[in-house]
Amino acid sequence: MNQPQRPLLPQGAELAHPPTRSRIYVGLGLAFALTLLPWMEQIRWLVPDFTLMALLYWNIRAPRLAGLGAAFCFGLLTDVARGVLIGLNALAYCTATFVVLLIQRRLEGFDTPRQTLQLAPMLLGKELLVLTIGLVIGRGAVDWRWLAAGVVAALLWPPLAWLVDRASGRAAPGMPTTRRPPL
Amino acid sequence: MSPAPHAPLFVREMGLPARFSLYVLVCLFLLALDARYATLSGLRAGLNALIHPTQIALAQPWEWLQNVGRFFITHGELAAENKRLKQQHELLAAGLRDRAAISAENAQLRALFALPPRPGFTLLAGEVIETSPDPFARKVIINRGSRHGIDAGWPVVDAAGLVGQVTRVYPWTAEVTLLTDRDQGAPVQNLRNGLRIIVSGQGSDNLLEVRFLDMHADLQPGDLLYTSGIDGVYPAGVPVARVLRTEPPRHTPFARAFCQPLGGVGRYRHMAVLVPTQKTAAAAPAPATKSP
Repeated sequence: MNQPQRPLLPQGAELAHPPTRSRIYVGLGLAFALTLLPWMEQIRWLVPDFTLMALLYWNIRAPRLAGLGAAFCFGLLTDVARGVLIGLNALAYCTATFVVLLIQRRLEGFDTPRQTLQLAPMLLGKELLVLTIGLVIGRGAVDWRWLAAGVVAALLWPPLAWLVDRASGRAAPGMPTTRRPPL
Repeated sequence: MSPAPHAPLFVREMGLPARFSLYVLVCLFLLALDARYATLSGLRAGLNALIHPTQIALAQPWEWLQNVGRFFITHGELAAENKRLKQQHELLAAGLRDRAAISAENAQLRALFALPPRPGFTLLAGEVIETSPDPFARKVIINRGSRHGIDAGWPVVDAAGLVGQVTRVYPWTAEVTLLTDRDQGAPVQNLRNGLRIIVSGQGSDNLLEVRFLDMHADLQPGDLLYTSGIDGVYPAGVPVARVLRTEPPRHTPFARAFCQPLGGVGRYRHMAVLVPTQKTAAAAPAPATKSP
């Protein structure tokens, strides 16, 4: 087997300080605050949905602590912040979370590049879903440029996942796990 | 393997698909409710009141940076700007004297013909604090809300012309739908010959269109379009657009015309809401949010 064998239990800092519900919600709140920053109008359509990325990340790492409820609440907040129909982003977030929870076992075993490949359709699909629902509900013409935000989100996933991994004390995948030598 | 600190042995909850379908149903219900009725405006205003302070706090560092940049402006620039502003002020003062005379004359003539007085408006200046990241619409958020007495439906102008209309009101902010939004329209009059048409947004930043133009209508490139004031929403005589080109009918019986907005739609930071004065607000019918 050429893949590094993952230990059955989390090791090191992650074992000592597993992610807790409060830390996850603080992380989601920070991601939501990122989307609230006064972005320049010229690049506004390129700004990825940090809230969705954080939701997916925590649903992969701690599926029992985040979940559909968090997705729904943050979806409503995003709807109000963006001034779109209430329920639009909530529906998209819930759908993405549902899909991620279905394949969570597979996703958490993957390293970051493979994870990115699996998540890219979801990040792009969320933007597509929001635009399509808006069309169906009858909001008129759609600016398809906004799909680019999904692509940017997929491109940003590896560095951001790495960053949050390190910030929350998860061991790097390549690092040798501190296993006690056999006596 | 994920850390699952609260994983119970025997799960006593609905399965994932069941929970998901419940949430989807709730979302669809909210969507339909918000798209068709105005019942959720309270929820929206409440959540917005929660988010707004965060947004203000997050925008603060940018404000500080801009203030620091403004501090290091040179004396020469200030002097030049001062001179330019003085000249502009004299020009405007002359125009204002003319206007006072003309409006007095107009009021007398209207009284002579027993016409109702023109609706009066006062200006309430506001600042754009955010552009709304909505892929379907062109909207901005200004820092004036229901606490400042703003109501939905009121027109918004800037120094150069019409900008749009207030469409949603929150406690401290309001959402202004720009003239360039596809759903937004304004009844206008050609300054040259008094032709009445409706200018609509196109979804592009610097183009408006006249969708259903009679193919024999006398509209030429360069014509100036001012609001006609017949809809009861926009006051008469606000500059709206300049005609760029007209397009002969191709697949429809109507011609089309493309215009350039005169107001700095989506460019300026400051704009003013036209607040109707009390007596006309009571007399005027409820303002429509969309023009036909």
